[in-house]
Amino acid sequence: MNIPVGAFIAVSSILFFLGVTGVLVRRNAVVILMCVELMLNAANLALVAFSRRAGSVDERGSVFVVFVFVIAAAEVAVGLAIVLAAYRNRPTVDVDEVHAMKG
Amino acid sequence: MSYDFLETVLFALLTIGIVGGAVGVVFLNRITGAALLMAFTFLCNAGMFVLLGAETIAAFQVLIYVGAITVLILYGVMFTPQQHRPYALFFQKQTPWAALFVAPIAIFVALFAFSFRDSAHPTPRGGDLVPLATSVFKDFAFPFEVASVLLLAAMIGAIVLVKRDEDE
Repeated sequence: MNIPVGAFIAVSSILFFLGVTGVLVRRNAVVILMCVELMLNAANLALVAFSRRAGSVDERGSVFVVFVFVIAAAEVAVGLAIVLAAYRNRPTVDVDEVHAMKG
Repeated sequence: MSYDFLETVLFALLTIGIVGGAVGVVFLNRITGAALLMAFTFLCNAGMFVLLGAETIAAFQVLIYVGAITVLILYGVMFTPQQHRPYALFFQKQTPWAALFVAPIAIFVALFAFSFRDSAHPTPRGGDLVPLATSVFKDFAFPFEVASVLLLAAMIGAIVLVKRDEDE
């Protein structure tokens, strides 16, 4: 029995919404970055699932996934650099407390 | 004897791994545990890629996500130690808003996702590496170069951001 593409999309959407919940609820900046990576993984899974057609795997979905890999890696590097720079300023990574530019 | 049930069993196990790992990342208070469960989610995602017939992408997933991004996140966890805070996860002021925002859209998207009826069976063609590489370097050569420039810019930006100010 083959698995319908909708099942993969359901898993991808569950993963994505868990990532969204994590970004909205958690206060630690590093954990927020982790949840953003979860969302990117969900998008990758959806891309590869949709690129699978009857008889073959369409390679353009995989090409786009390669570019998402590149962008995710660059984003994690720069995001962590920002978190570390902010931590050096005041030793907290609580996003509720880093509000010097607010209002 | 047909081994078709194996695909369903693997899919179920990988789904449990992905969803369990993601729930752990979102709801665990120990950051190290959350980071390692995130790596486990990435591994199960790689398994999903293999199940979908994209083995090269599965290899890249393990290399880049489990290998590099997990280590980066662990560096971030290591360099930003926090005091042990009281567990206050569900009593923040934005949690009801988050639930209000996520739940209706999530239910709608889940129903929509299950409405797909297309089912594909990929025939083995010797792997997906050759079409992928041909496509990247022929049809998508310009985005490939742009991605290289983006990586260079991100590298320079990250180095500049964490550079310590020199005391003159």
